[in-house]
Amino acid sequence: MAEITLKDVVKRYGKVEVVHGINLDIAHNEFVVLVGPSGCGKSTTLRMIAGLEDISDGTISIGPEVVNDLPPRKRNISMVFQNYALYPHMSVRENLGFGLKIAKQDAATIKRRVDEAADILGLDALMDRTPAELSGGQRQRVAMGRAIVRHPEAFLFDEPLSNLDAKLRVQMRTEIKKLHQKVKTTVVYVTHDQVEAMTLADRIVVMKDGHIEQVGTPMDVFNHPVNTFVASFIGSPPMNLLPATVQNGTVVFSDGKSVPVPARLKDRVREGQEVIFGLRPDDLTPVGHGIAEAGDSARVALDIILSEPLGTETILYTTIAGQEAQGKMFGPRNVLPGETLEFDLAMDKAHIFDAESGKTVRLD
Amino acid sequence: MANKPPPFWQREKYTPYILLLPAILTLVFVVLLPLLFSLYTSFTGYRLIRPESLYQWVGLRNYERIFSDGDFWSAFGRTIIFLTIALNVEFLLGLGIALLINKITWGQRTLRTIMMFPMMFSPILVGYQFKFVFNDNIGILNNALQSLGLSDGAIPWLVDKYLANFAIIFAEVWMSTSVFAILLLAGLFAMPRDPLEAAKVDGCTPWQVFRHITLPFLMPFVFIAMTIRSLDVARAYDIVDVMTGGGPAGRTELLWTLIARTGYDNARMGQANAMAYVSIILSIAFTYYFFTKLIAARKYMGGAA
Amino acid sequence: MMNGALKKRLGAIGLWVLTFILMVVMCVPGLWVVLTAFRPNGEVLAKPPVWIPENPSLLNFAKIFGVGVDQVAIPVPAYFMNSLIIALTSTAVALLIGMSGGYAFARYRFKFKNGMFLGLMLSRTVPGIALSLPVFMIWSRIGLIDAKLGLIIVYVALNVPFTIWLIDGFFRQIPKEMSEAAQVDGCTRWQAFWKIEFPLAKSGIASAGIFAFLTSWNEYALASNLTRSTDSKTLPVGLMDFTAQFTIDWAGMSAMAVIIIIPALILTFLVQKHLIAGLTFGGVKG
Repeated sequence: MAEITLKDVVKRYGKVEVVHGINLDIAHNEFVVLVGPSGCGKSTTLRMIAGLEDISDGTISIGPEVVNDLPPRKRNISMVFQNYALYPHMSVRENLGFGLKIAKQDAATIKRRVDEAADILGLDALMDRTPAELSGGQRQRVAMGRAIVRHPEAFLFDEPLSNLDAKLRVQMRTEIKKLHQKVKTTVVYVTHDQVEAMTLADRIVVMKDGHIEQVGTPMDVFNHPVNTFVASFIGSPPMNLLPATVQNGTVVFSDGKSVPVPARLKDRVREGQEVIFGLRPDDLTPVGHGIAEAGDSARVALDIILSEPLGTETILYTTIAGQEAQGKMFGPRNVLPGETLEFDLAMDKAHIFDAESGKTVRLD
Repeated sequence: MANKPPPFWQREKYTPYILLLPAILTLVFVVLLPLLFSLYTSFTGYRLIRPESLYQWVGLRNYERIFSDGDFWSAFGRTIIFLTIALNVEFLLGLGIALLINKITWGQRTLRTIMMFPMMFSPILVGYQFKFVFNDNIGILNNALQSLGLSDGAIPWLVDKYLANFAIIFAEVWMSTSVFAILLLAGLFAMPRDPLEAAKVDGCTPWQVFRHITLPFLMPFVFIAMTIRSLDVARAYDIVDVMTGGGPAGRTELLWTLIARTGYDNARMGQANAMAYVSIILSIAFTYYFFTKLIAARKYMGGAA
Repeated sequence: MMNGALKKRLGAIGLWVLTFILMVVMCVPGLWVVLTAFRPNGEVLAKPPVWIPENPSLLNFAKIFGVGVDQVAIPVPAYFMNSLIIALTSTAVALLIGMSGGYAFARYRFKFKNGMFLGLMLSRTVPGIALSLPVFMIWSRIGLIDAKLGLIIVYVALNVPFTIWLIDGFFRQIPKEMSEAAQVDGCTRWQAFWKIEFPLAKSGIASAGIFAFLTSWNEYALASNLTRSTDSKTLPVGLMDFTAQFTIDWAGMSAMAVIIIIPALILTFLVQKHLIAGLTFGGVKG
């Protein structure tokens, strides 16, 4: 059980730099999720923590110790791999006990700790099977079991749920969260799925192109994205991002329509600034079908292109200033394409980003 | 608390070279250095019976001599023709057999196993087997032809110029067709069903399906087989040596049998080494050609295979 | 007019006829040799031919093994032992070298990787007879002519490229994560190899070994020029002893052929599945 510290960590393959000096402090027993699109360097970062990739520059410490030159086995970590990496020639029991056997623990200790892990994960009935005889979810549990038997300083998860079907993924997500509550330890979890990141993390680290874009709690990252990338990556359906210009205290879209600059951001924009106006679909709702409390809001009439009923809500596709935008209708009724509806824009939830830098104008 | 970096031989960067070192050393000492030595020898008038002739530098005379030698050129030409016919027939037959076995549902495994056997036969045995089959006096072929009344006299299979060459090609094809059949069959098994079904739904005739879907998919497998084959085309030496010894009167002489005769029987090592170099370049050219084809086909296929 | 069902049935019959012809061509020559091995010499030369042996006997085998005859014409037992020793030793060494090299190709990225691989393959293309010339000249200077060791060294070099190719393919089939998981679990890279990757690749490595064994067992071009006597002559070279005589002892030669074939048949049977997988995998996936 230890904190993990990354300081100016760089990864280069030959001349190509894929991780550009990232800094991150992971607290004792914290569940941190690295999330980002493929190729953002999140897996590489995890593998550097594990010791499976060399660190080109900077330092990684686990607890008080700098581990840069330690091989994986000396870092006292466990890892769950994307395709589980169960040893196919060993039974579940042997898979679980392998690490302890290598560490030359005595048979009694191995048995006790393996049984303990099997108990936590409900694997008791499967102990004598081989990985080939297990279902996807069961393999996943064995992989986690193999990680917990060794009582490591930290768990590393590398996209552990991406090989499971949708239903099982949700189920295993819950199990991982429960497991973390039972076996308190530091967790670093890599995924490309923002829902997984939101549901599991104490803190989310959003990465892109080898840089950390934002670090924060799930609600923090959701409510206060620092730039357009985080805004569009976290949340589903993604935030609508519409180019606009600030004129006379209003945000003017390219087709001339305008909405007032949200009151709380008035001091943050300057006249004539090119901006991106961001609004989540949840905050773009037909009048009378919203969830936001009546606050600072603007009203616009929009044509419906397409509607996707989901039951409790319907997603509405429309265009604002020639750009596709999505809104939501809570407590839905049937909507026909071509219909024009009056929409509420929840301006107190709106975001404004500088068009040039992509950064939020709110600097808190 | 910093840790000492591990010594250089434990570092990831050097591991592959260390792992490859034994292989490289073996090949340098057993193949590369001897070949350099024989390259040198090919510029000397070295004869086995006169050891001091190893230091007798003759420049390009060996090469001039072999390139102006009718026997050399006829052996060379015969080798090229032999390879061209053998490889093409092996490919076509192999493809046919693979398609045939692929169609058969009952006894397929047994057939596949039987197909493997010639691959594992010693070429010397294949040669002996066909020396026996084609023997004019007691060979099973002439016996069968005579018993069936198809021929009165003994056909001189291994003596007549054309028949003898036919016989050695037959033996070669018998031995090596299965390389193609087995690999192409593996290719057919690995073939995804969707494109086939899509083509049928799109209205392709069986021939069109074969021509535009199956065959392109099989091409990498064809080139693997060709590459594997080109690695050991010189195995034909064993067959010919046993069946005819290059004779009678040089009628079945291939480049490889000519090298052996020149080097060992006539003890003209310098000249034999010059010929050996021609045969090495021929082999490398064959392999390199198919290997680049294989790389290209592999790129074209992407991850599909 | 032919109806569909009839057409289908004719097609099926055609398929079987083709298969039958194929099998005849494949099997009859070998079968004939095997039958001849059990015939007395008179029957081999008989006119008209005797198709099925009338007096099958083991006499030919007894003769080549020197049982119940005064003089042994061809010392087959000695050749057999030479073949066995040379093939087994060269296979074991080639496997060790091949495992090491194959692992490097399967698991590491390094400079000149493709070039080295091509170099390995090209070294294998050198015709045996062409290689035999310089090796003969060098070996005769350092006393390796007519020595088992001389042939073993050559066969190791002959087998290394192909063994590396096959084993590379088999290691590639094992996900890299297996070894990584083992390292995270506390193994050194060396332990991870022996406890995880090696057991998983074992059957593939075994078939590479069988293939190497057969290559050595069957080799003729080099052996025929680097060996002289019962000290080192192998079975394929020994087979040619028969043809050196003025009249060919077809029956004896066939008996010896059978002895050479048997290991090949057994090993082929064992190796078939892995060999195809290894060859195609290594070749296509690269």
